[in-house]
Amino acid sequence: MGEFKSGFFMSESACNGRVLVVDDEPDIRKVVRMTLQKAGYEVIEAENGEKAIEAINTGENRLLLDVLICDIRMPKINGVEAIAYFQQEWPRVPIIVLTGFPDTDMATSFLRSGVVDYLVKPVEGEKLRTAVARAMEQRELAQL
Amino acid sequence: MKLCATRIAIIGAGKGGTALLDLLHQIPDVEIVGIADKDPTAPGLKRARDLNVLVAERVQDLIQNHGVNLIMDVTGAPSMEPLIHTLKRPGAEVLSGAATRLLWKLVQHQSKLEAELFQADKLAGLGSFAAGIAHDINNPLQLILGLAENLEEEQDLAVVHEQARDITQAVKRTSAICRDLTRYARRNGAGEEVMVNLNTKLDEALRIARYAVTLQDVTVVKRYAEDASVMGNPDELLHVFVNLITNAVQAIKDHGTLTLQTTVGPDGLVSASVSDTGCGIPKEAFSKIFEPLYTTKPPGKGTGLGLYNVMSVISKMDGHICVESDVGVGTTFRIEFPQVQPTISCAPL
Repeated sequence: MGEFKSGFFMSESACNGRVLVVDDEPDIRKVVRMTLQKAGYEVIEAENGEKAIEAINTGENRLLLDVLICDIRMPKINGVEAIAYFQQEWPRVPIIVLTGFPDTDMATSFLRSGVVDYLVKPVEGEKLRTAVARAMEQRELAQL
Repeated sequence: MKLCATRIAIIGAGKGGTALLDLLHQIPDVEIVGIADKDPTAPGLKRARDLNVLVAERVQDLIQNHGVNLIMDVTGAPSMEPLIHTLKRPGAEVLSGAATRLLWKLVQHQSKLEAELFQADKLAGLGSFAAGIAHDINNPLQLILGLAENLEEEQDLAVVHEQARDITQAVKRTSAICRDLTRYARRNGAGEEVMVNLNTKLDEALRIARYAVTLQDVTVVKRYAEDASVMGNPDELLHVFVNLITNAVQAIKDHGTLTLQTTVGPDGLVSASVSDTGCGIPKEAFSKIFEPLYTTKPPGKGTGLGLYNVMSVISKMDGHICVESDVGVGTTFRIEFPQVQPTISCAPL
């Protein structure tokens, strides 16, 4: 629980949006947080699909979550399962896949299913920020 | 005493004699009663002692006793064949000259094939490692890239130091992956027999098996006995354990427990076992699991050579494999290794 709750207390003055990062590696969550905070995003974290589902169903996240960044290979509920859940239950939240394994078939099938981007680690900060910015635009369009 | 159909004496303990010894002692219903060579340093004599096969000082003593009914002359010396014919008991057959040379070629061919199968299985396995390797290399790379980008602008010296240390650690982790994998992929050196610590080898195998199978939802339990060591080829044993661990984790469909255990009995007998709480092996498949090319895995996932190679390695070491399995409950593969050193027994007074 503590993983994502910390996000609630991080009220950045200039908040460009709230991003949930789902990855089992704390190092990856740390670096994504660092990268996105520089662009004024508020970042909350979950270590697997199960925690991510818990996080999105908690408090103001239901309304205020803007973008989801999700790894694939994770324990408990893996990325594929978690993404299917999010696409069904939270269709307006754009999803970016951030994975260590470049798999063309998987990338194609995700992109067809509506995932906004399929990024393969290691991804440069600028590229990640651009992907999130594009996802934010999509989020805003969805809210119109 | 168990009487075997074929009781063989090998004359000559050079390369040919050693290879014959290695091959024949794995075959049921064949007993090698002894080996002889005029050179006391011949490699086959050492191998025979390791396998508890009698080493005779004189050819005569060997072939006239022990119920020998087949004498294999691999000395290549033209004078040996007539000598054997003079000395042997009536009824005992002799294989020598061109016949043994042909046999030697067949043995060489067989051992080459086995080595190829062993390597083929390993390389096929490496293909399935791709996802795991990519995950384990690209994650630290992501950390390194993110930190390096941050360091370009970072003003706080304490943060700079901390992140530089994180980068060093991430690089070390990544290079360990390459070290493990190159060690695993290399061809086995022949005859590299050393004392191998089974606990360390099981740990190493677990690290490698992680690339092929996802261990994230598997609880790993280790029950290691101290000093569980055996004489063997470290590369071959690593492959044996990688195979058994990979199978065990694949048998666990969802959540489950993988138990790695080693024991050292009071008699000095050493064992290693790999257990899972997976799907189990149906009774009708039991007799087939060690056959070459038998697999229940989907196409592209299994070569059917894994357990065949496991059996080859363990038979060569004169070890023994016990399999216990219950459908829906789990499976245990237990390998018992021969005693390395004679144990000192304390008889009660």
